[in-house]
Amino acid sequence: MNGQEEKLNKHPGTFLRLLKYAVPYVGHLTLGLFLMLGVIALDLYRPILIGSAVDIFAENGDTSLLTGISVKYLICIVAIFLLNAASALIIGYTGQSIIYNLRMEVFKHVQSLSLRFFDITPVGKIVTRVTNDVESLNEMFTNVIINLIKNTVKIIGLAIVMLTLDRKLALLGFMLLPVVMVLTYFFRKIAHTTYRIVRTKLTALNTYLSEHLSGMRVIQAFAKEEIKNAEFNDRATDLYHASFREMMVFAIFRPLMYILSVLALITILGTGGLDVLAGGITVGTLYVFTSYIQSFFEPIQELAEQFGTLQQSMASAEKVFTLLDDNTKIKAPETPEHIKNFRGRIEFSHVWFAYSGEDWILKDVSFVIEPGTSAAFVGATGAGKSSILNLIGRYYDIQRGSITIDGVDIKSINIDELRHYIGQVQQDVFLFTGDIKSNISLKTEGISDEAVRNAAKNVNADRFISRLEHSYDEAVTERGATFSAGERQLISFARTLAHDPSILVLDEATANIDTETEGLIQDALSTLMKGRTTIMVAHRLSTIRHADKIMVMDDGQLKEQGTHEELITIPDGIYKKLYELQLEDNEGTEPGLCGTV
Amino acid sequence: MGKQGKEKNKKGAAFILKYLWRHKIAYLIGLVTLFVVDFVNLYIPQFTGEITDGLTVGNMDRDGVIGNVLKILLCGGIIMIGRFMWRYTLFGSCRKIEYEIRVDLYEHLSKQSSNFFNNNKTGDLMSYFTNDLGAIRQAVGMSVISAFDASVMAVMVLIKMAVYVNVPLTVLAVLPMVIILGGGIYYGRIVEQRYDEKQKAFSEMSDSVQETISGIRVIKAFVQEEQELKAFAKINANNKKKNMSVVKLMAVVIPLLGLLIGVSSVITLVYGGSLVLKGTLTPGKFVSFHSYLNMLVWPMLAAGEAITSFSQGMASMKRIGEIFDVTPEIADTKETDSSITGLKGAVSIKNLTFRYKEELPAVLENVSVDIPRGSSLAIIGRTGCGKSTIADLLLHMYNVEDGHIFFDGHDINTIPLNTLRSGIAYVQQDNFLFSDTLQTNIAFGSRGYKELPRNKRIDRRIVLSKADSLEAYLEEELSKRESLADKIHDDLDKVMEAAKAADIHDNIMEFPKGYATMVGERGVTVSGGQKQRSSIARALMKDAPILILDDALSAVDTDTEDNILNNLKRLRQGKTTIIIAHRISTIEHCDRIMVLDDGHIVEYGTHNELLALHGRYAELYEKQQLEGNEEGETA
Repeated sequence: MNGQEEKLNKHPGTFLRLLKYAVPYVGHLTLGLFLMLGVIALDLYRPILIGSAVDIFAENGDTSLLTGISVKYLICIVAIFLLNAASALIIGYTGQSIIYNLRMEVFKHVQSLSLRFFDITPVGKIVTRVTNDVESLNEMFTNVIINLIKNTVKIIGLAIVMLTLDRKLALLGFMLLPVVMVLTYFFRKIAHTTYRIVRTKLTALNTYLSEHLSGMRVIQAFAKEEIKNAEFNDRATDLYHASFREMMVFAIFRPLMYILSVLALITILGTGGLDVLAGGITVGTLYVFTSYIQSFFEPIQELAEQFGTLQQSMASAEKVFTLLDDNTKIKAPETPEHIKNFRGRIEFSHVWFAYSGEDWILKDVSFVIEPGTSAAFVGATGAGKSSILNLIGRYYDIQRGSITIDGVDIKSINIDELRHYIGQVQQDVFLFTGDIKSNISLKTEGISDEAVRNAAKNVNADRFISRLEHSYDEAVTERGATFSAGERQLISFARTLAHDPSILVLDEATANIDTETEGLIQDALSTLMKGRTTIMVAHRLSTIRHADKIMVMDDGQLKEQGTHEELITIPDGIYKKLYELQLEDNEGTEPGLCGTV
Repeated sequence: MGKQGKEKNKKGAAFILKYLWRHKIAYLIGLVTLFVVDFVNLYIPQFTGEITDGLTVGNMDRDGVIGNVLKILLCGGIIMIGRFMWRYTLFGSCRKIEYEIRVDLYEHLSKQSSNFFNNNKTGDLMSYFTNDLGAIRQAVGMSVISAFDASVMAVMVLIKMAVYVNVPLTVLAVLPMVIILGGGIYYGRIVEQRYDEKQKAFSEMSDSVQETISGIRVIKAFVQEEQELKAFAKINANNKKKNMSVVKLMAVVIPLLGLLIGVSSVITLVYGGSLVLKGTLTPGKFVSFHSYLNMLVWPMLAAGEAITSFSQGMASMKRIGEIFDVTPEIADTKETDSSITGLKGAVSIKNLTFRYKEELPAVLENVSVDIPRGSSLAIIGRTGCGKSTIADLLLHMYNVEDGHIFFDGHDINTIPLNTLRSGIAYVQQDNFLFSDTLQTNIAFGSRGYKELPRNKRIDRRIVLSKADSLEAYLEEELSKRESLADKIHDDLDKVMEAAKAADIHDNIMEFPKGYATMVGERGVTVSGGQKQRSSIARALMKDAPILILDDALSAVDTDTEDNILNNLKRLRQGKTTIIIAHRISTIEHCDRIMVLDDGHIVEYGTHNELLALHGRYAELYEKQQLEGNEEGETA
């Protein structure tokens, strides 16, 4: 965490990095900026036109001069309109395009991260990065950058014009600049911090909210609504205090800036007025000055405001970049090898694995699973069974040793290719919003409706699916909540079968299945396993016993391996003990040998 | 939803008035200050004009200039204080309103029935709290200020122009601005519509990302990254398109405003200039008039912005209002007998038929069963037979008609919800733990509310000192608060006792932080089995007269199951227990067993009675027995 924090706050780096996204649109931006500069020049010209009109009045000049000025003014404003509209369109388009690209990059990056990242990062946080945080950068590309340039140019332009008109008055007007800058600096610093507090608290509150909305059933079942409401109120109050403070920062800064502009105005009016009396300058010049000094402060205040937006954008950008810099990735092989004549022989050789540090989950595990055979892992919770399943598809990388498929180290196989070989059946079935068909075929091209139906038939899912009102087109809502665990399980089997993997990796579900569905599932499993190298964590004794090889894990080590018959003959063996315990306790029922996973 | 909004008693967006009324004094002070600021603001051009005039005509001396300058300074001072005050009152109120709606909305949602949550996705509900709430804050803060300020300022400036300068000139110069007002109304409608579409596209995108991330394991396992990226590109492009439709509109409308204002300047220049030359108008008044004209720019722009933000806010208010208008389907009613303050444990179901929606087939049909106080009932049957529905109905998660479910002889519809649910400890099928410590999770059903001490000062200090590690610091503070809750409630002994009974104690002690271990997204990932046993511990600690285990032992091995069942027997002595299960081993010792099929009770009796029937139960038993025997032979 500290490492991440250190990276924050380096605005220049973040800013430059953001600018890189604008590089492909440098033409658009330059054009937009160019148009903007035209607007500024014309805007600067407007008071001069009025000022010269005032001078005509003082000299009691004629109407034709006034008409000339009016025409110039009219051309001026029409041009401003056209330039403004054009630049807003161009810049808006650029901003949207950059946001689009950045969002694609973030999404792509997130997808490429290893499971480790998803283990430790809340879903809500990732979603916020891809959606809201990227969105808030839009403001920065469409408004902030352009306006920063625009206002800087405006300030410099004004300063030059004022200095040429009257040096003394101009310098007097500039006197307050240092104060403005110091004030802006502090404002910027405080505003940024308060904003970050608000953001962090808001995110925390929304995470809390989303969790509690999904868990409302539990809250209601325990009749704890009031307590949870109070707890929510607590956190919302916290956020309120933070946002109130943010409001105060602005409430103090803005009026202070205003009074500074008034001070500048009276300085000009006072000294300028006396100058006119002394015959130093004309009334027209004084008019130009008073209107300039007011428009001089405008861009400065705007600049301060844009710094505020910039800070907000930077905070979002930092978060997005921290995510983009997260390199919890599985490294793709530089020169990928292909498996010729795929057979499906899996070998673990002295594998050591830890999710982090020296917290070994697997300690020197070695085994071989021959092509087309099945291996079942048993052992207590935390013995490392599930980790083994995840390692084969390279969802995590091992620290020592090697894992090979048909003699090729999985680290040198293209990851996509590797995972194409493997059909992973998870314990918790995840269904996507859509329909049953799309949940079986996923978005894989080339899986026809026919293939979907066949897959479903082969795993006994067809029966319940065809009973549904819309059969294969039946809608699947949020995570498939309308289906029972058994039905979800069958859909996931169909999904795996439709993708026809060569190796089957199976984390057997333990839960929630009635005996009848259970029969269907067992039957489907044997269809799935047919002709495939199968590696599984099994809970049901029947599944375990039918495995060609049983591996007994204990505390990260492979303690025993062999067939059921072999293992139960080992005196004092772990498997034997587990097995006898089951028999004693559960005569006549369905025993399982595993601890919970 | 839209149709419902028009019914009686449906207030829709009008709910916001209640909140505004609550802050009427702050709003009043704020608006008065705003008025004062606008009023005083008018004098600055006047004093500036007087100086120009005096100097042009030559009738102003040194003291006159200084006097006017001081007057301007005074005006500036008043405006400064006023600007602070209206920000404080108005922006302060809108933050407060945002907070109040957030809390009320959450509370409102907490009263909604399961049906409501089945029909409304969490993601959609979340967007009320994020996008809509933000839009409302803008509407009741910024747009109220802008709208009020703009109209006050516009009116005052106009009066000033007409009275102090010249009436015909004012009328002519303001003519183009009238177009702005008319256009604004038309424009507001289009903006609302486009903004709505933009919001929709955004939330569609959020949903899609949410799903991809949640399903990332499947996506990776089936190498779907490429396809997901393509699908996301489409959604992202749609979001861009909808954003651009707003950008396009703004790109034309805002400069158009500037153009209209510019036309006013030209009119001033032509007509006002000729007046000056004719001698009807002094050059000073011409200058002032021009300043006034510029002062109208902001109100017009602000009016446009206020219209935009207000229409966005209205759309959000409508959406949130519709949610507020949803009357909780299940709540205490007139029928409720508040003298029922506790359950004793007798449950009786009479001829219960239930369907989730009228048009759907019945999930339960004519189910009757008596569960005497202190006895245990098991419900067994295949998936979808209605087992879990019984648990839901006993908890009053869905409504049933009068005369079907009774607790201690009281109809369920007469029992206060809180009493009912406090009397039942429930372990649900899909176990849910909160992102909190294990201790808090297990004690969840047993704790009352205790206020935690808060320390506001800390926040102020960190603004300056902890700027570099702010997020980490805040995170840490939050965790501290959570463990503080455990300390204050001081219930570790009881939690441990329940955990031991649920056979999870040893697992918990294996975590480095033991009971202080954080569960879920910010902490450790607990397995399905651990979750299940934690939920059982949670229910056991509640020690209610009625315990319902809905398939709560499915993810534990038989050994653990035995332990837990033995503990249950001991702890649930004299109390009612309902166990829903698939495995006969789980339920064979229950006093009564009910076999459900397709919503009907097909068999009912004790284990032995049912075996003697040679029916469905016996068949099930044999199936499970067979497998056991098969294993036995090889042993």
